[in-house]
Amino acid sequence: MSPRVLVVDDDAALSEMIGIVLQSESLEPVFCYEGTGALEAFRSSQPDLVLLDLMLPGIDGIEVCGQIRAESGVPIIMLTAKSDTTDVVSGLEAGADDYIAKPFKPKELVARIRARLRRHDGPDTERLLIGDLVIDVAGHRVTRGEEVINLTPLEFDLMVALARKPWQVFSREVLLEQVWGYRHQADTRLVNVHVQRLRAKVEQDPESPEVVVTVRGVGYRAGAPPAR
Amino acid sequence: MSTGAERAVPPWLERLRRRGRSAWRRTRARVRALARAWRRSLRVRVSVTTVAVGLIALLTLGAALSGQVRDALYDTRGEEILTDAAVRAEQVQSAFDSSNAARLQDVQQLVWDVLNSVRSTGGPSVLLLRLPGQGTQFPEYVSDYDQRALIRDALREAVREQDTQMWQPVAIGTADGVEPGIAAGSLVTLPIAGEHELYFVYSLAEEQATLDLLQRVLLVGAFALVLLLLVMTWYLTKQVLNPVQQAARTAGRLADGLLDERMDVHGVDELAVLARSFNEMAQSMQDQIERLAHLSTMQQQFVSDVSHELRTPLTTIRMASEVLNSARGDFGPTEARSAELLATQLDRFESLLADLLEISRFDAGAATLDVEEADLRVVVERVIDIVEPLAEQRGSHIVSTLPDRRVRVDMDSRRVERVLRNLLVNAVEHGEGEPIEVLMAADARAVSVLVRDHGIGMTATEAERVFDRFWRADPARRRTLGGTGLGLAISLEDARLHGGTLEAWGSPGEGASFRLTLPLRAGLEIQQHPLELRPPREHVEPEVHRDPAGPHALPDDFMAEISE
Repeated sequence: MSPRVLVVDDDAALSEMIGIVLQSESLEPVFCYEGTGALEAFRSSQPDLVLLDLMLPGIDGIEVCGQIRAESGVPIIMLTAKSDTTDVVSGLEAGADDYIAKPFKPKELVARIRARLRRHDGPDTERLLIGDLVIDVAGHRVTRGEEVINLTPLEFDLMVALARKPWQVFSREVLLEQVWGYRHQADTRLVNVHVQRLRAKVEQDPESPEVVVTVRGVGYRAGAPPAR
Repeated sequence: MSTGAERAVPPWLERLRRRGRSAWRRTRARVRALARAWRRSLRVRVSVTTVAVGLIALLTLGAALSGQVRDALYDTRGEEILTDAAVRAEQVQSAFDSSNAARLQDVQQLVWDVLNSVRSTGGPSVLLLRLPGQGTQFPEYVSDYDQRALIRDALREAVREQDTQMWQPVAIGTADGVEPGIAAGSLVTLPIAGEHELYFVYSLAEEQATLDLLQRVLLVGAFALVLLLLVMTWYLTKQVLNPVQQAARTAGRLADGLLDERMDVHGVDELAVLARSFNEMAQSMQDQIERLAHLSTMQQQFVSDVSHELRTPLTTIRMASEVLNSARGDFGPTEARSAELLATQLDRFESLLADLLEISRFDAGAATLDVEEADLRVVVERVIDIVEPLAEQRGSHIVSTLPDRRVRVDMDSRRVERVLRNLLVNAVEHGEGEPIEVLMAADARAVSVLVRDHGIGMTATEAERVFDRFWRADPARRRTLGGTGLGLAISLEDARLHGGTLEAWGSPGEGASFRLTLPLRAGLEIQQHPLELRPPREHVEPEVHRDPAGPHALPDDFMAEISE
């Protein structure tokens, strides 16, 4: 079964064009042309990924993003005509995993979608330790003691990438390549915002992080598991 | 004992010298402070001048006045004294004449009685002196011995010769000091003893006291007046200067951009007129500035909106063109080439739009820095890696000289990379296949990157305009690398956003150099550039070998590929 993509964009021509490209890549597009009906369309279509325009009639993309994120961890990629810091950051903070600035090439769009639909294919029984957390890669679960922590797939991928190589310091560029699938240089703010969101969920005290540790001037690395 | 110890300055002398030096320094500092106050403050100048002039006028007036009074006092009293002396001399003479003393002892007794009575009735001091050469048979009479010296020989000679009353001012020594006086003398004839000189010495102490009092009163009055003058000037200048100072302060704040700043207006006098006119000026200025600012914001907003609105249809066109282009193998040659042209020109259109948007963001002041500490060498090396293939195609070799140690800079790597890429691509485009040098050097505060080519170069006028938007040195020259014409303008804005500078130098035939200087820490001010923009004179080669075939043309989409 081909993965389903919900395209939320008010521009009919662009939506249609995106649809043509998606179909040629054997993805199944579903369309929604305004912000107000977006959540409903999401519920009825159960997509594997959402392409979301930031500027929408009715309620805007950032709000739609928040609504979807509130009930699902499904990957969300924003389509934005503005690459201004504030818009991009507020979109990412509302829960979007990635963004593409208009105008984009079809290949670029497909690459972004593929990166988000990709599943990690590590050994099934893999269990990883990061800080005081345990990651069950096969079961897609993160636990602290008995408590289960809910993460979006992207946040989960970010944790797994860090935890697989606890001795390595990851630069933002490397993380962009491994987690987001960028091959060229990209916006490192993606990493910053998502690390912040992740910390808010997994850290005991986000002010002094112990799970995702900042290495000043370089990037991030996994926090060491507590000594037994 | 060593000679060094002998030559050593004793500690007390050293202390003294040091104290002297520091006192001298303090004095000099004080004088300088006063001179500064004089230069800086109109108020100090006016007050000091007024007081000085007032003081001189009062002193002159006082001196003239007390002189006049003194003269008048002395004239009156002097006449009185001389009359009195004459009367007394006559009385004495008649007392002598009417005496019938027959012996010298009687005469002596007579003189004693007569003169004592003069003195004892509150009169002047009396001296009866022998004529010189008279022998010593008759004793002299001196009522106050310390006044004997007051009678000078000159006076005595005059008395003897003129045979009338003669007088002379004298200074009478007293316990408290010296008081002025007058000595008047005449000849008297004693029975038996013959002619003698008779002197009366009058004190002018009372007159002197009056004069002293007058002078004291004058002096006190003068000082009071000067003080009053000082207070008045100080107050008056304050009245006049306060609004002026306020105007200066307000103007300064207006210049700093606080356009709402106004002066306080009090009353209806000339100063109020000044304040009111000043405020009117500020108001009309503010209106103008706000009008212009509004227009400019609207215009920038428009550009930004247009750019954004263009993006959605452009995305559709772009995707359609890509779909067509990737399927061009199925088309005939005409359609295939059309699809290809459409795709490449869309790339160009897109980079132009992106640059326009970026410029409009700078114009609107909406550009923000995403600052992080990073090694600038890494960025430079990355840019060189990106541009290298393009340079090789053009036959240029990029030679870089970078510091051995890390150069940590607070910067937005994305922007800095864009600047350096623009400079390098620019150097390749105009480098005529000659080597391109990339130099980098840092000092404690700043780091410079210099990109130097040895191509066609440019004149000083062109170097000034090279950062202008859409500017071309030679309109007839085609852009071989498909730049948008906004690259250097954006680079300049990027450098400024970092608090850095971007400058250009060129000389026709010698090539050009561009220097980017960034402060190492955000907010540091650049005081000097670690690298010189102009090459040293001796390194300039007058004739550069050129490839007669000219630069190779590059595929149009090269630029799009490397800017991705």
